[in-house]
Amino acid sequence: MSDKLKEIINKQSEQQNPDITDLDNVVQLVGFIIGDEEYAIPILAIQEIIKPFSWTRVPQVPPYVKGVFNMRGSVIPLIDLRVKFGLPEQKHNDETRFIVMKVGDEVAGFVIDRLTMALRIKKEHIGPAPDTINSEDSLIDGVGKEADRIITILKADKLLKRDF
Amino acid sequence: MDEFQEILQDFLVESFELVEKLDEDLVELENTPEDLELLNGIFRVAHTVKGASSFLNFDVLTHLTHHMEDVLNKARHAELILTPDIMDVVLESIDLMKALLNTIRDTSADAGIDVSACVARLDKISGGTGEVETPKPQAAPAVEASSVKPEPIQAEDSGNEPDYENMSDEDVEAEIERLLAERQEQDKAKRQAKIEAGEAVPSAPPAPEEEPASAKSDPEVVTPPPPPPAPKPVVHGSGNDDAPKAAAPAKKAATVEQTIRVDVKRLDHLMNLIGELVLAKNRLIKINDDVEERYEGEEFLEELNQVVSIVSLVTTDLQIAVMKTRMLPIGKVFNKFPRMIRDLSRELNKKIELEISGEETELDKSIVEEIGDPLVHIIRNSCDHGIEQPADRLAKGKEESGTIGLKAYNEGNQIVIQIDDDGKGLDTTMLKDKSLEKGIITEKEADQMSDKEAFTLIFKPGFSTAAQVTNVSGRGVGMDVVKTNIEKLNGIIDIDSEIGVGTSMKLKIPLTLAIIQALLVGVQEETYAIPLASVLETVRISTDEIYTVEGKSVMRLRDEVLSLVHISDIFEVDRIMDGGEYAYVVVLGLGAQKLGLIVDTLVGQEEIVIKSLGEYLKGIEGVAGATIRGDGGVTLIVDVVALMDMARNVKTSAVASASNAAAQITLEKTKASDYIIMIVDDSKTDRTIMRKALEPLGVTLVEASDGQEALNTLKTSDQNFDAMLIDIEMPRMDGYTLAGEIKKYNRYKNLPLIAVTSRTGKSDRMRGVESGMVEYITKPYSADYLSSVVQRNVNLKSEFLS
Repeated sequence: MSDKLKEIINKQSEQQNPDITDLDNVVQLVGFIIGDEEYAIPILAIQEIIKPFSWTRVPQVPPYVKGVFNMRGSVIPLIDLRVKFGLPEQKHNDETRFIVMKVGDEVAGFVIDRLTMALRIKKEHIGPAPDTINSEDSLIDGVGKEADRIITILKADKLLKRDF
Repeated sequence: MDEFQEILQDFLVESFELVEKLDEDLVELENTPEDLELLNGIFRVAHTVKGASSFLNFDVLTHLTHHMEDVLNKARHAELILTPDIMDVVLESIDLMKALLNTIRDTSADAGIDVSACVARLDKISGGTGEVETPKPQAAPAVEASSVKPEPIQAEDSGNEPDYENMSDEDVEAEIERLLAERQEQDKAKRQAKIEAGEAVPSAPPAPEEEPASAKSDPEVVTPPPPPPAPKPVVHGSGNDDAPKAAAPAKKAATVEQTIRVDVKRLDHLMNLIGELVLAKNRLIKINDDVEERYEGEEFLEELNQVVSIVSLVTTDLQIAVMKTRMLPIGKVFNKFPRMIRDLSRELNKKIELEISGEETELDKSIVEEIGDPLVHIIRNSCDHGIEQPADRLAKGKEESGTIGLKAYNEGNQIVIQIDDDGKGLDTTMLKDKSLEKGIITEKEADQMSDKEAFTLIFKPGFSTAAQVTNVSGRGVGMDVVKTNIEKLNGIIDIDSEIGVGTSMKLKIPLTLAIIQALLVGVQEETYAIPLASVLETVRISTDEIYTVEGKSVMRLRDEVLSLVHISDIFEVDRIMDGGEYAYVVVLGLGAQKLGLIVDTLVGQEEIVIKSLGEYLKGIEGVAGATIRGDGGVTLIVDVVALMDMARNVKTSAVASASNAAAQITLEKTKASDYIIMIVDDSKTDRTIMRKALEPLGVTLVEASDGQEALNTLKTSDQNFDAMLIDIEMPRMDGYTLAGEIKKYNRYKNLPLIAVTSRTGKSDRMRGVESGMVEYITKPYSADYLSSVVQRNVNLKSEFLS
């Protein structure tokens, strides 16, 4: 039994080792889906991920600002990324989540279609945003390349910035 | 270094307090120059600041206070009479002192401010009788430069507080020697007294030892021996010398402990926590109500009730207690006005008296900090524009000197600060003319304006009645600042004025900023909170009472016409539900302005905690913030000030019936499956039977297992339903209630509701009709019958039937 345990532990440490050795070169992200695209946000910008619950509509805001909700006593704005990215609104289902992001003092919840996974992408596998996009105003930080797919990495601080 | 910083902090806090006191006392002194006690007090303050600043090496400050002290000392010994001119110089030096203290606070050094001119003037005053007068061109280190002069006077006259700062080194040595000698003498005498006392009662020392011994043997000895208590007084007598000494520090310690300086941040944090607690309390009360409803008559309810009421009582008390710790007497703000009035009256050549009352009235610290500026502006305004020149006053038969009254008092949940003057009053025609001239209002507006509204013109930005800009006022900025600042505090301003008699301004400010009483109102499915301070009354009106004048809705409220605006026009609420023939009007008042806000329902009054919407959503017009309600939901707080402005631009008539607008988006049906029918029944079997009966028609079927679920589906679905089959007996929400709820929506006004039930009684059928059901099918029924009823009600086109 203990041999087996050791084996598992060894295996785990083996798995972790490559990451530990070049931790500086790895970016940790949380991946999620909006529409048909996979996006990711640096894990450090995420305060928590919660299941959807009721919110209060706020007047005179763009359609992608759904309103505000109560997270343990704080009033936090809720932004629908589908609408923000120009997709039609969709009813919330079992996979819908609110990702609460925090950069500095700015906090907001973002509605996403579903989560994929926590990702570790090596820095050399992240390319710059396409040239056609103005890098200053863009929400896109870069494009991560995994074995079988491409993930758009978003800038959390830009998402949290009021643009209306 | 840290230690120095700490001392510096204490020094600054103390000095600022002292200087503030000084200002006040000096002005009072000017009125009662013979009050020696007051003068002594002032002298002591100046002296303390000087002492402390010299210890911390603030040479410039020491230099200044030292010379000030000279003048005050002369006055103290009647060598000098404090004329207003001398007071001007003294007050000027106090201003410099403040400036220096500010510099010290910001930079930890007192460089950069030139005090030489003021010092020279102070010297001139004190020099009249003093023996040495050396005008110092620069802020030279005070200690040597002015060492000779004041020392002899002080050493003689105020023996208790010799001025060590200005002694030469030898003098200091001598003084120390003298004090040491004095001290040794005293100690000797004390020891002597002790010894004498001890000798006088030689039996005393052993006595205490005996006593505990006898106490130990107490259990055995039934009656304690009477002799031991006897020496006790003697023992005390021997310690006589020390006793008062020991008692004195103890007493002192007790008085020191009575106040603690606490960082405001800690109080703010505490206030936040209390806010959370208030929310939790609200939630508890709500849950208690729910439980009460569900378990009526159960025994544990009483216990629960008790706990809930205790919790809510304690929370309220706690909230008040914490609020009180943040309270400061408004006197803190009022204190600076005597000085200001004095300066202003000299500057304007008017005679003005200030009467202050209610300075002990307490206000939240943050409000005290904010209220100062508006008051300065109002009082300056009263001095400049209100009070007339002495000659004019006499000509009008008034007293030569004008009076400005400044008083504060509590009124309900508000603090009222009232500023009265007996000046010339506000002339409404003149105010209107000036505003027209400056393009602030239009001719039409001027005509319609009531006197009260005309008074508020003085708060318009850019408005000024002064012919020319003086040092005191006339820039047209001040009163605008007053209005914005007071409104920022959720306060309102009320002006009353009579030409020739005077003006009275009332600032009504809530006691605290964080927690307020609010009226909760409902519109459609949303709830909004309106600060109760701006709610004058609520009235229920029928929709016929609303008239439209020039595209705006108005109503008659007693003998005045009230303009109305619907809350859903302000907050872009979709009117999906019909309001019915009655509406509630919340009459909002802000100073002289009034507005009726039409809402669908009045939910109630609640204590709410104001929370900010955060950086992302700040600045939304009409929303002052948000609060979290007992059910955990967020409710927006209405910004009444902004609402008044927004209401002006809302053109749509308030209760335009929205019935037809959003409703009836019936699309062309092209096939049988375009028809959507909902089946609501709690029994799976019944649902299946209905499904089987309707499937042959080829229509789309949607199922729901109770009323609540059906209602949610209706609300959230983007499909248009063509008919509903509703069971009556269902958990959560029964069929009648469901039908009633559905009929509230304009969109479903004409949706055919078909009851399918085993209830066959006549009264049941009646209820069905009342709640808006069009058909009533009793179980059991044949599949064909059901199918034909549905076909009839949805107008199924015959070509779709196979």
